[in-house]
Amino acid sequence: MTTTLSLEQEVARLIVEALHLETAPEDIDPEAPLFGDGLGLDSIDALEIALAVSKRYGFQLRSDDERNHRIFASLRALAAHIETHRTA
Amino acid sequence: MPAEPAFPLTARAPGEVLFRRGAEPVTTARFLAEAAGLAARLPAEGPVLNVCADRYLALLGFAAALMRGQVTLLSADRTPQRLAEIAARHGARCALSDTPASLPLPVIAPAAEAGPEAPNPAIPAARIAAIGFTSGSTGEPQPHAKPWGALVAGARAAAARFAVAPGTSIVGTIPAQHMYGFETTLMLPLHGGGAGHAGPVFYPSDIEAALAAVPAPRLLVTTPLQMRALLGTGIALPPLIGVISATAPLDAALAAEAEAAWGAPVREIYGATEAGSIASRHTTREEGWEPYPGVAFTIGEEGASVTVPGLPAPVPLADRLEWCGQGRFRLAGRLTDMVKLAGKRASIAGLTRILTAIEGVEDGVFLAPPDLDRNPRARLAAAVVAPGMDAKAVLAALRERVEPAFLPRPVVMLDALPRDAVGKISRAAIAALAWKR
Repeated sequence: MTTTLSLEQEVARLIVEALHLETAPEDIDPEAPLFGDGLGLDSIDALEIALAVSKRYGFQLRSDDERNHRIFASLRALAAHIETHRTA
Repeated sequence: MPAEPAFPLTARAPGEVLFRRGAEPVTTARFLAEAAGLAARLPAEGPVLNVCADRYLALLGFAAALMRGQVTLLSADRTPQRLAEIAARHGARCALSDTPASLPLPVIAPAAEAGPEAPNPAIPAARIAAIGFTSGSTGEPQPHAKPWGALVAGARAAAARFAVAPGTSIVGTIPAQHMYGFETTLMLPLHGGGAGHAGPVFYPSDIEAALAAVPAPRLLVTTPLQMRALLGTGIALPPLIGVISATAPLDAALAAEAEAAWGAPVREIYGATEAGSIASRHTTREEGWEPYPGVAFTIGEEGASVTVPGLPAPVPLADRLEWCGQGRFRLAGRLTDMVKLAGKRASIAGLTRILTAIEGVEDGVFLAPPDLDRNPRARLAAAVVAPGMDAKAVLAALRERVEPAFLPRPVVMLDALPRDAVGKISRAAIAALAWKR
């Protein structure tokens, strides 16, 4: 549980830094959508996050049928996806 | 009486490969049969709101609507509110969607089902085949009608300009509903050449996988942002015959890096939703844009306009243009307050109006950064006077009314907007506050 929490915080920091967000990493609601009503990110951000994730965690994000909506459903979902696929 | 000018639905021979779903080829004959099958499922009247993410299903939906004489509505903005607004305003009778969609109209899930052999119908050139949308200064979607003849002429011009051979695999990364994506990945296979790829293709790894799944020669149709991400992740791509970029200015250094990495020329398209693709250039070699065949630019004191084959009237452009010899022009900045982000346009004045209409906001202004025309990652900023609100609350209110690409980053909260001696808002002072880092 501790590792999950710290990865979540790490990913929050990665997002804030990669996207130059005004929000503090700890202010990102881990359950809120990253896109749309939540953080309000867009496709430019999705590519930035994909780039930052590939550099930091050594794997590539992919589109599936639901596009990025499942992985980017929330900070928690993204952290869980990284936890499963990371090679670095 | 002379016959009304018309073009067939597709200029491709029945046995040619028109599209690929993954690695599976779809011939023109099969496409026509599947489109006719879908046409039979459409309501008696249009228009049809086509939101399909799968590029082949989007093409089938467009073709089916054409077969029924119905107009297709194409919105690059996929937010449910915007789609609902467009559907209501244009009286859409159904939506075609391959993903679950909550829309206030009947939704049909298109399927590629083999049906009996179907004819290749002739479509009148003057018939409105599709309507694309942009955001106007009021923030409301502005419709831009596309006669079939204009779409066909554009596809032929693109095929000639980029020398797209029939066997070329076209992998596109832009949604089919974006006019650039629609022209290069749907219309180009129908009337130019090459075989489209159904997708979805968005992330660098998707692009690599899609290219690897199709035979050479391969043409990649993408954006500066995706090129930057591809080069940044260092993914190796299969051999390419060419790269086409549009939606945002392509930095010459990025173009050079891409050409070195992929060993193929990178060419840029200049266009607008209203006019379609109208010029191109080989970015590492040429500053000037070469008009598409048949397209005529008029550059005057008041701005530039373009006459496009198949469109009834000249289209005014949002950029300042200058002739630079040999019939080419260069872009010399924005003429109006229109800004373009993530391939979409909005008016700074319109955004400011939306901002100041928020309850609790006393004053405010949107601002474009100085590098907006060069930096595809650039964001707008806003300075806001709203006692009792913080930046988060302002953003939350804007989020309901403004597309994500145009949300300000940063939001600078002030006690009063800085003004100069004559009371005019000092944009320079706000810019200094917004982009101090």
